[in-house]
Amino acid sequence: MNTTLKKPFTKDILHIDDIESVCNEIIAKMRTDVAKKLQRRGAVIGISGGIDSSACLALSAKAFGPKNVTAIMLPEQDSSDDSRNLAEELAAAFGVTQTLVENITGALEGFGCYRRRDEAISRVITDFDPSVDKSKIEIKQDPASSLPPAFSITVIRPNGEEVSKLLPVKEYLQIVAASNFKQRSRMSMLYYHAERLHAAVIGTPNKHEVQQGFFVKYGDGGADVMPIGHLYKTQVYQIAAHLGVPQGILDRTPTTDTYTAEQTQEDFFYQMPHKEMDLYWYGWENGYSAEEVSKVMGRTAEEVENIYKNMERKQKTTEYLRMKPIF
Amino acid sequence: MLQVIETKNKIREYILESTFDDVENITDETLIFEKGVLDSMGLLFLIEFLKEEFGITTNDDELVVENFESINNIVAFIENKL
Repeated sequence: MNTTLKKPFTKDILHIDDIESVCNEIIAKMRTDVAKKLQRRGAVIGISGGIDSSACLALSAKAFGPKNVTAIMLPEQDSSDDSRNLAEELAAAFGVTQTLVENITGALEGFGCYRRRDEAISRVITDFDPSVDKSKIEIKQDPASSLPPAFSITVIRPNGEEVSKLLPVKEYLQIVAASNFKQRSRMSMLYYHAERLHAAVIGTPNKHEVQQGFFVKYGDGGADVMPIGHLYKTQVYQIAAHLGVPQGILDRTPTTDTYTAEQTQEDFFYQMPHKEMDLYWYGWENGYSAEEVSKVMGRTAEEVENIYKNMERKQKTTEYLRMKPIF
Repeated sequence: MLQVIETKNKIREYILESTFDDVENITDETLIFEKGVLDSMGLLFLIEFLKEEFGITTNDDELVVENFESINNIVAFIENKL
Protein backbone atom coordinates (compact mmCIF):
# COMPACT_ATOMS: atom_id res chain seq x y z
CA MET A 1 0.00 0.00 0.00
CA ASN A 2 1.32 3.41 -0.90
CA THR A 3 1.44 5.43 2.29
CA THR A 4 3.12 8.52 0.82
CA LEU A 5 0.97 11.51 1.60
CA LYS A 6 0.75 14.41 -0.79
CA LYS A 7 1.16 17.89 0.60
CA PRO A 8 -2.18 19.68 0.82
CA PHE A 9 -2.65 22.00 -2.16
CA THR A 10 -1.89 25.62 -1.20
CA LYS A 11 -0.89 28.77 -3.06
CA ASP A 12 2.67 28.38 -1.67
CA ILE A 13 3.14 24.83 -2.85
CA LEU A 14 5.74 25.83 -5.45
CA HIS A 15 7.92 27.78 -3.05
CA ILE A 16 11.46 26.37 -2.92
CA ASP A 17 12.51 26.15 0.73
CA ASP A 18 16.22 25.53 0.24
CA ILE A 19 16.87 27.83 -2.70
CA GLU A 20 20.63 27.85 -2.23
CA SER A 21 20.85 24.06 -2.65
CA VAL A 22 18.60 24.09 -5.71
CA CYS A 23 20.76 26.78 -7.37
CA ASN A 24 23.93 24.85 -6.53
CA GLU A 25 22.52 21.65 -8.02
CA ILE A 26 21.63 23.44 -11.27
CA ILE A 27 25.04 25.10 -11.42
CA ALA A 28 26.86 21.80 -10.83
CA LYS A 29 24.78 20.11 -13.52
CA MET A 30 25.48 22.92 -16.00
CA ARG A 31 29.22 22.46 -15.46
CA THR A 32 29.01 18.71 -15.98
CA ASP A 33 26.74 19.01 -19.01
CA VAL A 34 28.82 21.66 -20.78
CA ALA A 35 32.34 20.57 -19.88
CA LYS A 36 31.96 16.79 -19.69
CA LYS A 37 29.00 15.78 -21.85
CA LEU A 38 29.22 18.45 -24.53
CA GLN A 39 32.95 19.11 -24.17
CA ARG A 40 32.50 22.83 -24.71
CA ARG A 41 34.14 25.74 -22.94
CA GLY A 42 31.83 28.32 -21.50
CA ALA A 43 28.43 29.53 -22.56
CA VAL A 44 26.72 31.72 -25.11
CA ILE A 45 23.33 33.05 -24.14
CA GLY A 46 20.81 35.33 -25.79
CA ILE A 47 19.50 37.88 -23.32
CA SER A 48 16.31 39.87 -23.74
CA GLY A 49 15.76 41.55 -20.40
CA GLY A 50 13.11 38.93 -19.58
CA ILE A 51 13.09 36.82 -16.44
CA ASP A 52 14.01 33.49 -18.04
CA SER A 53 17.11 34.61 -19.92
CA SER A 54 18.12 36.69 -16.90
CA ALA A 55 17.96 33.70 -14.55
CA CYS A 56 19.91 31.64 -17.09
CA LEU A 57 22.58 34.32 -17.42
CA ALA A 58 22.91 34.52 -13.64
CA LEU A 59 23.25 30.72 -13.39
CA SER A 60 25.76 30.67 -16.27
CA ALA A 61 27.91 33.37 -14.69
CA LYS A 62 27.98 31.36 -11.44
CA ALA A 63 28.64 28.07 -13.24
CA PHE A 64 31.36 29.08 -15.67
CA GLY A 65 32.61 32.42 -14.30
CA PRO A 66 31.61 35.73 -15.92
CA LYS A 67 34.61 35.76 -18.25
CA ASN A 68 33.49 32.49 -19.84
CA VAL A 69 30.00 33.74 -20.62
CA THR A 70 29.09 35.68 -23.74
CA ALA A 71 25.78 37.51 -23.52
CA ILE A 72 24.20 38.48 -26.81
CA MET A 73 21.34 40.89 -27.31
CA LEU A 74 19.46 40.13 -30.52
CA PRO A 75 17.06 43.00 -31.11
CA GLU A 76 15.11 43.64 -34.30
CA GLN A 77 12.91 46.48 -35.43
CA ASP A 78 9.92 45.39 -33.30
CA SER A 79 11.90 44.94 -30.05
CA SER A 80 11.26 47.40 -27.25
CA ASP A 81 14.06 49.67 -26.07
CA ASP A 82 13.33 48.58 -22.51
CA SER A 83 14.48 45.08 -23.37
CA ARG A 84 17.90 46.29 -24.43
CA ASN A 85 18.42 48.58 -21.44
CA LEU A 86 17.46 45.84 -18.99
CA ALA A 87 19.69 43.31 -20.75
CA GLU A 88 22.67 45.66 -20.44
CA GLU A 89 21.94 46.23 -16.75
CA LEU A 90 21.72 42.48 -16.22
CA ALA A 91 25.09 41.69 -17.85
CA ALA A 92 26.73 44.41 -15.76
CA ALA A 93 25.15 43.05 -12.56
CA PHE A 94 26.82 39.67 -13.06
CA GLY A 95 30.16 41.02 -14.30
CA VAL A 96 29.68 39.64 -17.80
CA THR A 97 31.81 41.90 -19.96
CA GLN A 98 31.62 39.94 -23.18
CA THR A 99 28.35 41.43 -24.38
CA LEU A 100 27.40 41.85 -28.00
CA VAL A 101 24.49 43.43 -29.81
CA GLU A 102 23.51 41.64 -32.99
CA ASN A 103 20.63 43.42 -34.66
CA ILE A 104 18.82 40.81 -36.78
CA THR A 105 16.50 43.24 -38.62
CA GLY A 106 18.47 42.92 -41.88
CA ALA A 107 18.34 39.12 -41.75
CA LEU A 108 14.61 39.23 -41.09
CA GLU A 109 14.06 41.60 -44.00
CA GLY A 110 16.01 39.17 -46.16
CA PHE A 111 13.74 36.32 -45.11
CA GLY A 112 10.68 38.47 -45.78
CA CYS A 113 9.58 38.07 -42.15
CA TYR A 114 7.84 41.44 -41.84
CA ARG A 115 6.42 41.45 -45.38
CA ARG A 116 4.97 37.95 -45.15
CA ARG A 117 3.47 38.65 -41.70
CA ASP A 118 1.96 41.98 -42.77
CA GLU A 119 0.51 40.49 -45.97
CA ALA A 120 -1.41 37.96 -43.90
CA ILE A 121 -2.66 40.61 -41.46
CA SER A 122 -3.80 42.79 -44.38
CA ARG A 123 -5.92 39.94 -45.75
CA VAL A 124 -7.91 39.94 -42.49
CA ILE A 125 -7.92 43.65 -41.68
CA THR A 126 -7.82 45.19 -45.14
CA ASP A 127 -7.00 48.76 -44.10
CA PHE A 128 -4.05 47.68 -41.92
CA ASP A 129 -1.13 50.04 -42.48
CA PRO A 130 2.07 48.48 -41.07
CA SER A 131 3.93 51.78 -41.32
CA VAL A 132 1.78 53.33 -38.57
CA ASP A 133 -0.46 50.63 -37.07
CA LYS A 134 0.73 48.16 -34.47
CA SER A 135 -0.41 44.55 -34.32
CA LYS A 136 -0.42 41.46 -32.14
CA ILE A 137 -2.11 38.10 -31.98
CA GLU A 138 -3.89 36.97 -28.83
CA ILE A 139 -6.27 34.45 -27.33
CA LYS A 140 -9.48 36.06 -26.13
CA GLN A 141 -11.33 33.03 -24.83
CA ASP A 142 -11.80 32.12 -21.20
CA PRO A 143 -9.22 29.43 -20.26
CA ALA A 144 -11.99 27.63 -18.38
CA SER A 145 -13.89 27.10 -21.65
CA SER A 146 -13.87 23.51 -22.85
CA LEU A 147 -13.36 24.63 -26.46
CA PRO A 148 -9.71 24.80 -27.67
CA PRO A 149 -8.31 28.33 -27.89
CA ALA A 150 -8.23 30.23 -31.19
CA PHE A 151 -6.17 33.31 -31.97
CA SER A 152 -7.42 36.76 -32.92
CA ILE A 153 -5.46 39.51 -34.65
CA THR A 154 -5.62 42.92 -33.01
CA VAL A 155 -4.54 46.05 -34.87
CA ILE A 156 -3.94 49.22 -32.87
CA ARG A 157 -4.25 52.53 -34.75
CA PRO A 158 -2.04 55.55 -33.98
CA ASN A 159 -5.02 57.11 -32.11
CA GLY A 160 -5.29 54.04 -29.87
CA GLU A 161 -8.36 52.62 -31.57
CA GLU A 162 -8.31 48.80 -31.65
CA VAL A 163 -9.71 46.49 -34.32
CA SER A 164 -9.79 42.78 -33.57
CA LYS A 165 -10.83 39.80 -35.69
CA LEU A 166 -10.71 36.05 -35.32
CA LEU A 167 -7.84 34.76 -37.45
CA PRO A 168 -8.70 32.34 -40.26
CA VAL A 169 -6.42 29.32 -40.29
CA LYS A 170 -4.33 30.26 -43.35
CA GLU A 171 -3.57 33.74 -42.05
CA TYR A 172 -2.89 32.49 -38.52
CA LEU A 173 -0.39 29.95 -39.79
CA GLN A 174 1.32 32.49 -42.08
CA ILE A 175 1.66 35.08 -39.30
CA VAL A 176 3.15 32.52 -36.91
CA ALA A 177 5.44 31.02 -39.56
CA ALA A 178 6.71 34.48 -40.56
CA SER A 179 7.19 35.60 -36.94
CA ASN A 180 9.13 32.41 -36.17
CA PHE A 181 11.92 33.69 -38.42
CA LYS A 182 12.80 35.87 -35.42
CA GLN A 183 13.55 33.03 -33.03
CA ARG A 184 15.21 30.96 -35.74
CA SER A 185 17.46 33.84 -36.81
CA ARG A 186 18.45 34.37 -33.18
CA MET A 187 19.28 30.68 -32.86
CA SER A 188 21.50 30.86 -35.97
CA MET A 189 23.37 33.84 -34.57
CA LEU A 190 23.83 32.22 -31.15
CA TYR A 191 25.31 29.12 -32.78
CA TYR A 192 27.62 31.26 -34.89
CA HIS A 193 29.11 32.70 -31.72
CA ALA A 194 29.02 29.39 -29.84
CA GLU A 195 30.95 27.66 -32.60
CA ARG A 196 33.37 30.58 -32.91
CA LEU A 197 34.09 30.33 -29.17
CA HIS A 198 33.74 26.53 -28.83
CA ALA A 199 31.04 27.22 -26.26
CA ALA A 200 27.57 25.80 -25.56
CA VAL A 201 24.31 27.60 -26.30
CA ILE A 202 22.24 28.00 -23.14
CA GLY A 203 18.52 27.67 -23.86
CA THR A 204 16.16 29.74 -21.76
CA PRO A 205 12.71 28.07 -21.94
CA ASN A 206 11.13 27.25 -18.57
CA LYS A 207 9.00 24.20 -17.76
CA HIS A 208 5.78 25.71 -19.11
CA GLU A 209 7.33 26.83 -22.34
CA VAL A 210 8.79 23.37 -22.88
CA GLN A 211 5.73 21.37 -21.81
CA GLN A 212 3.00 23.60 -23.26
CA GLY A 213 4.88 24.20 -26.48
CA PHE A 214 5.43 27.94 -26.10
CA PHE A 215 8.67 27.91 -28.05
CA VAL A 216 9.75 27.77 -31.66
CA LYS A 217 11.09 24.46 -32.89
CA TYR A 218 14.71 25.02 -33.97
CA GLY A 219 14.32 28.60 -32.71
CA ASP A 220 14.43 29.29 -28.98
CA GLY A 221 13.92 25.53 -28.63
CA GLY A 222 17.32 25.05 -30.32
CA ALA A 223 19.99 24.96 -27.62
CA ASP A 224 22.53 22.65 -25.98
CA VAL A 225 21.51 22.99 -22.34
CA MET A 226 18.22 24.15 -20.81
CA PRO A 227 18.98 24.81 -17.13
CA ILE A 228 15.49 26.01 -16.16
CA GLY A 229 13.51 23.64 -18.40
CA HIS A 230 12.26 21.78 -15.32
CA LEU A 231 11.23 24.86 -13.30
CA TYR A 232 7.87 26.61 -12.99
CA LYS A 233 8.00 30.30 -13.80
CA THR A 234 7.23 31.14 -10.15
CA GLN A 235 10.39 29.23 -9.23
CA VAL A 236 12.40 30.94 -11.96
CA TYR A 237 11.45 34.26 -10.33
CA GLN A 238 12.53 32.92 -6.94
CA ILE A 239 15.91 31.81 -8.31
CA ALA A 240 16.42 35.08 -10.18
CA ALA A 241 15.71 37.10 -7.04
CA HIS A 242 18.00 34.88 -4.97
CA LEU A 243 20.88 35.29 -7.42
CA GLY A 244 20.50 39.07 -7.56
CA VAL A 245 18.81 39.74 -10.91
CA PRO A 246 18.05 43.50 -11.06
CA GLN A 247 14.69 44.59 -9.64
CA GLY A 248 13.63 46.19 -12.94
CA ILE A 249 13.63 42.72 -14.52
CA LEU A 250 11.87 41.05 -11.59
CA ASP A 251 9.11 43.67 -11.67
CA ARG A 252 8.52 43.53 -15.41
CA THR A 253 5.41 41.86 -16.84
CA PRO A 254 6.50 38.95 -19.06
CA THR A 255 6.09 39.92 -22.72
CA THR A 256 6.73 38.11 -25.97
CA ASP A 257 8.58 41.09 -27.50
CA THR A 258 7.70 39.58 -30.87
CA TYR A 259 4.85 41.67 -32.26
CA THR A 260 4.77 45.42 -32.85
CA ALA A 261 2.03 46.05 -30.27
CA GLU A 262 2.85 45.48 -26.64
CA GLN A 263 1.83 41.96 -25.79
CA THR A 264 2.01 40.01 -22.56
CA GLN A 265 2.64 36.28 -22.53
CA GLU A 266 -0.75 36.01 -20.86
CA ASP A 267 -2.53 37.59 -23.86
CA PHE A 268 -0.53 35.61 -26.33
CA PHE A 269 -0.61 32.13 -24.98
CA TYR A 270 -1.26 31.37 -21.36
CA GLN A 271 -4.64 33.13 -20.91
CA MET A 272 -3.96 33.72 -17.20
CA PRO A 273 -1.21 35.20 -15.00
CA HIS A 274 1.79 32.88 -14.64
CA LYS A 275 1.34 32.55 -10.86
CA GLU A 276 -2.12 31.07 -11.37
CA MET A 277 -1.11 28.98 -14.33
CA ASP A 278 1.81 27.48 -12.41
CA LEU A 279 -0.50 26.33 -9.65
CA TYR A 280 -3.03 24.76 -12.01
CA TRP A 281 -0.22 23.06 -13.91
CA TYR A 282 1.26 21.71 -10.68
CA GLY A 283 -2.15 20.53 -9.56
CA TRP A 284 -2.82 18.78 -12.85
CA GLU A 285 0.64 17.26 -13.12
CA ASN A 286 0.61 15.95 -9.56
CA GLY A 287 -2.87 14.52 -9.55
CA TYR A 288 -4.63 17.02 -7.28
CA SER A 289 -8.38 16.82 -7.84
CA ALA A 290 -10.14 19.71 -9.55
CA GLU A 291 -12.27 20.01 -6.45
CA GLU A 292 -9.30 20.46 -4.06
CA VAL A 293 -7.63 22.97 -6.38
CA SER A 294 -10.86 24.88 -6.98
CA LYS A 295 -11.22 25.61 -3.25
CA VAL A 296 -7.78 27.26 -3.13
CA MET A 297 -8.00 29.05 -6.47
CA GLY A 298 -11.53 30.46 -6.17
CA ARG A 299 -12.99 28.81 -9.26
CA THR A 300 -15.58 26.07 -9.63
CA ALA A 301 -14.41 22.47 -9.90
CA GLU A 302 -15.84 22.38 -13.43
CA GLU A 303 -13.74 25.38 -14.44
CA VAL A 304 -10.61 23.78 -13.00
CA GLU A 305 -11.45 20.56 -14.83
CA ASN A 306 -11.62 22.55 -18.09
CA ILE A 307 -8.30 24.27 -17.33
CA TYR A 308 -6.76 20.82 -16.74
CA LYS A 309 -8.17 19.63 -20.07
CA ASN A 310 -6.81 22.73 -21.79
CA MET A 311 -3.34 22.01 -20.38
CA GLU A 312 -3.51 18.37 -21.35
CA ARG A 313 -4.61 19.41 -24.83
CA LYS A 314 -1.76 21.90 -25.20
CA GLN A 315 0.80 19.33 -24.11
CA LYS A 316 -0.61 16.76 -26.51
CA THR A 317 -0.96 19.04 -29.53
CA THR A 318 2.56 20.47 -29.12
CA GLU A 319 4.25 17.08 -28.86
CA TYR A 320 5.45 17.67 -32.42
CA LEU A 321 7.60 20.57 -31.20
CA ARG A 322 9.45 18.39 -28.71
CA MET A 323 9.96 15.46 -31.07
CA LYS A 324 13.30 14.72 -32.67
CA PRO A 325 13.30 13.87 -36.39
CA ILE A 326 11.79 10.43 -36.98
CA PHE A 327 13.80 7.88 -38.92
CA MET B 1 -35.08 18.05 -42.83
CA LEU B 2 -33.26 16.70 -45.84
CA GLN B 3 -30.99 19.72 -45.77
CA VAL B 4 -30.11 19.07 -42.12
CA ILE B 5 -29.20 15.47 -42.89
CA GLU B 6 -27.07 16.59 -45.82
CA THR B 7 -25.28 19.18 -43.66
CA LYS B 8 -24.69 16.58 -40.96
CA ASN B 9 -23.22 14.13 -43.47
CA LYS B 10 -20.90 16.75 -44.93
CA ILE B 11 -19.56 17.61 -41.50
CA ARG B 12 -19.10 14.01 -40.48
CA GLU B 13 -17.36 13.29 -43.76
CA TYR B 14 -15.09 16.31 -43.28
CA ILE B 15 -14.13 15.21 -39.76
CA LEU B 16 -13.46 11.64 -40.84
CA GLU B 17 -11.37 12.74 -43.81
CA SER B 18 -9.28 15.14 -41.78
CA THR B 19 -8.71 12.90 -38.75
CA PHE B 20 -8.55 9.40 -40.29
CA ASP B 21 -10.75 8.38 -37.36
CA ASP B 22 -12.98 5.29 -37.47
CA VAL B 23 -16.60 5.92 -38.49
CA GLU B 24 -17.96 4.11 -35.43
CA ASN B 25 -16.02 6.47 -33.11
CA ILE B 26 -17.90 9.56 -34.20
CA THR B 27 -21.62 9.85 -33.66
CA ASP B 28 -23.71 13.00 -33.96
CA GLU B 29 -23.41 13.40 -30.18
CA THR B 30 -19.67 12.73 -29.80
CA LEU B 31 -17.95 15.59 -27.98
CA ILE B 32 -15.33 16.08 -30.66
CA PHE B 33 -13.03 18.41 -28.71
CA GLU B 34 -13.51 16.82 -25.34
CA LYS B 35 -12.70 13.40 -26.83
CA GLY B 36 -9.67 14.80 -28.64
CA VAL B 37 -11.02 14.06 -32.13
CA LEU B 38 -10.12 17.64 -33.12
CA ASP B 39 -7.57 19.91 -31.42
CA SER B 40 -7.10 23.69 -31.55
CA MET B 41 -5.78 23.60 -35.12
CA GLY B 42 -8.64 21.26 -35.95
CA LEU B 43 -11.05 23.94 -34.74
CA LEU B 44 -9.45 26.54 -37.01
CA PHE B 45 -9.58 24.21 -40.01
CA LEU B 46 -13.22 23.39 -39.19
CA ILE B 47 -14.09 27.10 -39.15
CA GLU B 48 -12.40 27.41 -42.55
CA PHE B 49 -14.39 24.42 -43.83
CA LEU B 50 -17.68 25.99 -42.67
CA LYS B 51 -16.79 29.15 -44.56
CA GLU B 52 -15.81 27.38 -47.78
CA GLU B 53 -18.60 24.81 -47.75
CA PHE B 54 -21.51 26.80 -46.31
CA GLY B 55 -20.40 30.44 -46.60
CA ILE B 56 -20.57 30.76 -42.80
CA THR B 57 -18.30 33.29 -41.12
CA THR B 58 -17.61 32.63 -37.43
CA ASN B 59 -17.20 35.69 -35.25
CA ASP B 60 -15.16 35.96 -32.03
CA ASP B 61 -18.26 35.87 -29.83
CA GLU B 62 -19.60 32.75 -31.55
CA LEU B 63 -16.52 30.76 -30.60
CA VAL B 64 -18.25 29.01 -27.71
CA VAL B 65 -18.51 25.36 -26.86
CA GLU B 66 -22.28 25.29 -27.48
CA ASN B 67 -21.68 25.96 -31.19
CA PHE B 68 -18.93 23.42 -31.79
CA GLU B 69 -18.89 20.60 -29.26
CA SER B 70 -20.57 17.95 -31.45
CA ILE B 71 -21.80 17.42 -35.00
CA ASN B 72 -25.35 18.15 -33.82
CA ASN B 73 -24.24 21.46 -32.28
CA ILE B 74 -22.33 22.47 -35.39
CA VAL B 75 -25.37 21.74 -37.55
CA ALA B 76 -27.56 23.85 -35.23
CA PHE B 77 -25.00 26.66 -35.45
CA ILE B 78 -25.05 26.50 -39.26
CA GLU B 79 -28.84 26.40 -39.39
CA ASN B 80 -29.02 29.50 -37.19
CA LYS B 81 -26.58 31.37 -39.40
CA LEU B 82 -28.17 30.48 -42.74
